[in-house]
Amino acid sequence: MTGSTIDHLVSLMVFLGAILLFIGLFNQTIQTAILYQHHRSLATKCSDLLDNMLLNPGNPLDWGKSNCTPTGFGLQDPEFTQYRLSPFSLMRLLSSAGNRVYYSQTGKWYSNVSWGIGGGYLLLPESECINYSTASKLLGVNGTYGFQLTINPTLTVNVREVQLIPLRLEVQVMGPGVPLSGANLDYLLFWTIGREEGGWPLFNYTSCSTQTNSAGLAYLEFSDNPYIRVDDNKTAYTIILKAHVGGLYGIGYKSRETITSAGNIIPFVESYENGTVLLAHKWGKNDPDGNQGALFFNATFYVLSDNFVPINVYIPNSTGLVNYGKEGKPFHRIQIPTANPGFLVVAYCKSANEYGMVVMPWGIGTIGISVVFGGDPFGKEWVVTDMRQVLVGDIAYQAKLALWSLQGYQVIG
Amino acid sequence: MEFTRLSGDWVMMRTIEVFLVIIIITTAFIISSFFAVLPQPRQVSPLNLRRLALTTLQTLDGDYDLSGTAFKPQDDTAWSNLQIALSACLPPNIVYNLTVYEVLSGGTQLYTFIHSVSNAESLGVSSDASSYLVASSNVTFSVVPEKIGEHGGGGTLYILNCSDANGWWITGYTGQSLAEDLYNLLSPYFKTTIMLQNTTQLARILDGTSIQGETLRNATVINTVGEAVPIPSAYCISPYSDGNYARYCHFLGNMTRLYNWTWVSIVGYPVYYVSNIEYFPNDDNTYGIYGMKCVGPAGFNAFLKGLDNQAYYYDSGEITGQPGLVHLSTEALYYCNYYGIYPASHQTSTRALPLSITSDYSLTIEFQMFNLVGNWIAGAVFRHAVSGSFLALGLTRTPDIRLTALGLLSYYRPRLYRSEYTAAGTSRLVVLQLGQVGGV
Repeated sequence: MTGSTIDHLVSLMVFLGAILLFIGLFNQTIQTAILYQHHRSLATKCSDLLDNMLLNPGNPLDWGKSNCTPTGFGLQDPEFTQYRLSPFSLMRLLSSAGNRVYYSQTGKWYSNVSWGIGGGYLLLPESECINYSTASKLLGVNGTYGFQLTINPTLTVNVREVQLIPLRLEVQVMGPGVPLSGANLDYLLFWTIGREEGGWPLFNYTSCSTQTNSAGLAYLEFSDNPYIRVDDNKTAYTIILKAHVGGLYGIGYKSRETITSAGNIIPFVESYENGTVLLAHKWGKNDPDGNQGALFFNATFYVLSDNFVPINVYIPNSTGLVNYGKEGKPFHRIQIPTANPGFLVVAYCKSANEYGMVVMPWGIGTIGISVVFGGDPFGKEWVVTDMRQVLVGDIAYQAKLALWSLQGYQVIG
Repeated sequence: MEFTRLSGDWVMMRTIEVFLVIIIITTAFIISSFFAVLPQPRQVSPLNLRRLALTTLQTLDGDYDLSGTAFKPQDDTAWSNLQIALSACLPPNIVYNLTVYEVLSGGTQLYTFIHSVSNAESLGVSSDASSYLVASSNVTFSVVPEKIGEHGGGGTLYILNCSDANGWWITGYTGQSLAEDLYNLLSPYFKTTIMLQNTTQLARILDGTSIQGETLRNATVINTVGEAVPIPSAYCISPYSDGNYARYCHFLGNMTRLYNWTWVSIVGYPVYYVSNIEYFPNDDNTYGIYGMKCVGPAGFNAFLKGLDNQAYYYDSGEITGQPGLVHLSTEALYYCNYYGIYPASHQTSTRALPLSITSDYSLTIEFQMFNLVGNWIAGAVFRHAVSGSFLALGLTRTPDIRLTALGLLSYYRPRLYRSEYTAAGTSRLVVLQLGQVGGV
């Protein structure tokens, strides 16, 4: 009788132990499978969401050209089909690439798409940008998914000064990790040629073509017609380069932004819809103390034709001076045409021997600016990505979407 | 004693059974684990290779370079450039195989191999592909439009090309040059197109006589001289001269109603002047253009009354407004693409009509070219409840006749029949297969 009781007790305990163990084992397998399924559906959602963004122009169709808040989010160029994106809609996305910029003269915060990268600036008032929260709501993922959209040029065109007298530039054309050999390079060079009687700088432009070598490099030397020397900031220039090979087009730029003894100029977009731009006297961490002199400038807006010829578009009051301190002219307001993508070249000088230049694109794609929009995927448990090849104008870009879940299993954030 | 022994033999039976159960469950777990293979991480979160391949092909063909290369299998430089471009635009862990096929028509075989390039011997364990059809640059695709009036009445287009009438607000053009351009743009879409060369011919159709046996009813009449309207000598007398020729405008409205015409005003304030060089040699429009008389706003008011079959009376009240910047409507943008007519989508309107005319004169807006600005209609086709319609473009000078063409085509909506795309030897199929390497 005692043996039978022990038998029952032992068997029951072993049985219960085994059941618990197996429940744990099966549960782990099932949980892993569910988690995998969850991640798989996240990947599908990522692909769908990316296509949603890229294959519809949003509502209204021209929301990228106005300062209205869209009722539908989409980045497709309304005048085209398939994966061709609007250079203007991309511009209105609140950048999460750089730190936001505050300009005390207007009391506004600006979206920092580009802050002086290669002498290029694109600063738009935050109040006129589409922020991450609005886009999430319009896409129907608010509170359920987080995302970050990155639009990068497929080809990177880097320009580096290798010689100052005469100016010699090294141009490197790269794909994602590979140099682009045998690429055709067309370029436009704008360079200062002295000063007008009023004091503002004059500049000229030239264009030419060349080809990259097997290492994806090309060298441009300006020793004759034009002869350019940039030592001691004697001349400033802006170069825009377009590379193409086998149907792939890329664009790059460099503007010789110098800090003269009277500072420099930074363009801020004041009104997106009206195209008013503030040419602000040197501003930033090194705020001018008001003792330096005036800075003369000359701003010109260009639209690029299909065959890469710059068309100068007249803008009124495009020359003058700014003086942060003494004359109470911390900035000068100009108005550029907003209908077509282009770029604004601003040449400035303190004296006849000290020049600088900055460039501001109007429309992503005109000089190959990147856009980063959305949340930060850092620290998220599982982030899926997908990508598409897209065109902005005729420039090849890659659109990458990183997506993560804000609900569900094992979310850390 | 015997019972006790027996009981002692079975004393650990339960424990043995439990172990047997454990063995069974363990076996079940092992077997189920064997079959329940979890996917590789790459399969859990895959890159959409099919979409990537398609968008790569579209990008490379953005300027038709891919199309050009696909038709040059012997051109090593072009293929080398294509390979460089492919390597440059794909992530480093993606390998590719691009193959071009000739598209055949007839027979049992649909495609034949032409050329292929690849950067790897195999495409790994997982790959996906997209295909893309390219066309030879030598191919001309023809488009045959449906003729307006082909399946019903009407189908006649009258273009007022009156050599004895001057224009106003057509600065930079003449009525004749605009008429010629309109003819080139619109005649393929109409069954019959007739240029009315002078006001005498205009008088004939106003009298109900056809010029060359065409159908008079349901015709479209385009006035090419802007804010002026040609007036035949026969109508330069009383009673048509009443109200500074406003009565003539009333008559035009009446005829539009009688013959169910679509009257087209290409720019500015409709029928603001009347013009006949021979009859008004010494009259100018107050801006130095001779051969015309100013009717003023009374002209269009009378026209609308005539269209609505209201009795004529002189009403010189101005009805237009100046909304300024106006935008093409979504529907108009759609038809821009359909008919391949691309005027600027933003225009300036200084002679827009008020929405109230629709209720005052029993009109409905059949096609709205521009979005409303307040209650102002910058351009639209208005149709009368009984008969007759008109297209009024209340834009500022100078006229863009593409807008006129767009307005009429969007109103009548003739279909376009495009030629066969897969003609033999003119199309090639490009297949891009992508595979992932590295990782698990």
